Amino acid sequence: MRALLRLTVANIKSFTRDRAALFWTLAFPLIFIFLFGSIFSGGNNDRTIGFADLDKSTHSAELRTAFASQPNVKLVEASEDDLVAQMRDGKLSAVLVVPAGFGATVDTKTAPATIKVYTDPAQTAAQGATFQLVGGVLGAVNQAASGRPPAVTFTNQAVQTQDLSFISYLVPSILGMSLMQLGIFSAIPLVADRQKHILKRLQATPLRRWQLVGSNVLMRLIIAVVQTVIIVGVGATFFHVEVSGNWLTIGLLVVLGSLAFIALGYVIASFASTEESANGMTSVVQFPLMFLSGTFFPIDSMPDALRTVARALPLTYLGDALRQVMVGGTAFSPLWLCVAFLVVWLVVCFGIAARFFRWQ
Amino acid sequence: MTPTSQQGPGRGTIARMSSQIQTAAGPVIRVRDLRKSYGQLHAVDGVSFEVERGEVFGLLGPNGAGKTTTVEVLEGLRKPDSGEVSVLGVDAVRSPDQLKARIGVSLQTAALYPKLTVVEVLDLFRSFYPSGRPTSELVELMDLGEKRTTRTQDLSGGQRQRLSVALALVNDPELVFLDEPTTGMDPAARRMLWDVVLGLKSSGRSVLLTTHYMEEAEILCDRLAIMDHGRILESGTVDELVSRRFHERAVRFDAIDGLGDARMAGFPGVASVKHENGAVLLFTRDVPGTIGAVLAASDGLGVEPVSLAVRRATLEDVFLDLTGRALRD
Repeated sequence: MRALLRLTVANIKSFTRDRAALFWTLAFPLIFIFLFGSIFSGGNNDRTIGFADLDKSTHSAELRTAFASQPNVKLVEASEDDLVAQMRDGKLSAVLVVPAGFGATVDTKTAPATIKVYTDPAQTAAQGATFQLVGGVLGAVNQAASGRPPAVTFTNQAVQTQDLSFISYLVPSILGMSLMQLGIFSAIPLVADRQKHILKRLQATPLRRWQLVGSNVLMRLIIAVVQTVIIVGVGATFFHVEVSGNWLTIGLLVVLGSLAFIALGYVIASFASTEESANGMTSVVQFPLMFLSGTFFPIDSMPDALRTVARALPLTYLGDALRQVMVGGTAFSPLWLCVAFLVVWLVVCFGIAARFFRWQ
Repeated sequence: MTPTSQQGPGRGTIARMSSQIQTAAGPVIRVRDLRKSYGQLHAVDGVSFEVERGEVFGLLGPNGAGKTTTVEVLEGLRKPDSGEVSVLGVDAVRSPDQLKARIGVSLQTAALYPKLTVVEVLDLFRSFYPSGRPTSELVELMDLGEKRTTRTQDLSGGQRQRLSVALALVNDPELVFLDEPTTGMDPAARRMLWDVVLGLKSSGRSVLLTTHYMEEAEILCDRLAIMDHGRILESGTVDELVSRRFHERAVRFDAIDGLGDARMAGFPGVASVKHENGAVLLFTRDVPGTIGAVLAASDGLGVEPVSLAVRRATLEDVFLDLTGRALRD
């Protein structure tokens, strides 16, 4: 037992001193979460809009205040030409121009005063949002100018729908992907140790093979727990992803998923004779798993042929199970089927590795 | 875990008093007609020898002679095709696990975890054994004090080799296998390792080492076996091996154009003529007569003999005589 624990500690030291291993297991999944999280979560959807005041009246100043007080809107002031140029460069999503004489027209009330709005019709969503913003602000200004209270208004009530937000979908998926990488990357140090004759040297000591394998697996399970805490923590802290599931169930799934992919790593190590070929083989296995297992979008939205492939991949079931248990995601397969698939996968990989793995 | 109590019943009469191992009669290694082939290659082709307790025994031969394969069978790391192998009274082929706590092994290529430091690797290997020597003692013994906290990937070849030998000693083994231990070492480190080996011997431990350095074999080995092409050509003490073959001394000088072997064979006392790396070796019973003839002959050709020297025959000469080629090309 002492030997097993000392070897586990040695493995953890070797792991944490290996920059490539650290990057792939810890940094890489966080990059995905921060990248996709910032793009899709609505955490930062501030719109920058140009505002050119050619009128300089009290009315134009009121209008600027009204726009500036809108949530998620940032106003940039400059000349009209300058702002349009900035918009062409993609720095602004729209430009508002208050023409000279705007205030006088409002005061005389002879005709509706007009402001000019530049939008890009190709950017449908941005254009719609601009119209919505301008309509809302002008409606409020018009209504205030009329001096009467609004006739109709509404209150808002939030409801959690069955559809997961993208980030809630992503966090358990990325956890599954990280466990997959952690597992299959076990092949690389294993093959390196064999190639450097370290496995042979260990065989000349009283250390038993089960202790050697046990310490490697234990090391990876410990790192899997650390990964889970980091990924769930980042999801909760930065993107408000609430993990609602039972921690014991989540823990068991993390362990089962790790074991299934560590077993796959041992299969790779059984057929790779050099560290380079182990590197190549893990890449060949890793990328289809990453992109065809519904990590970034549900497999329901895939073409039929790819969906059939996805149904044969273990990461599909691990991701599915983690989403079901952690964030109440819609199941593609019942939980028992996910667990059964992973158990069968583990047993088959273990059998193949036991048959073909060479120690020297 | 393998039982390791050295006083254990049935284990024989091995008892340890302080750091001395009290020796029992009988060899620590007995090999009978060992054979191992890889396809068409007969890596080990019928090898037999014995190593006595407290002895330093050397397997001497060029690369590819079968030394490493032989040693790895004895360490329980390879299965031979046939042959009997008894190590410390244990059948190393059938029950290698009974052996592992009692032997120390340094492989031909130092096998070290690259990201761990010297002390971490020693502590790790120490944890595999129920008893052994303190890490600090081994660090000092192998002169690795300045490298205690260096990762093994940053060690020089000679330092790695020293650490590999230190690892072979963590369990304070009765029998130590050192496969080409001084490869890559500078002369000072090599001499330090020789002291370590002689120290093991003086405390009653047995050592089997392989080498292709003649000087090393002559200094360290009580007995040795010369291997080539998977066979033992001859074995014995250095003196036995040399005197069995050469009663003569060797007169050596750089080859001289126009002075042929046939003529030199006729010089006074010359028993045989050999060539080694561009030099001529005349094995002779009459050193002054031979030298006189060499000087007279070269004078007649109008040249002076270069690097003229006299020496006793060495293992190198034995190897040359046995195989027809020098040990290191």
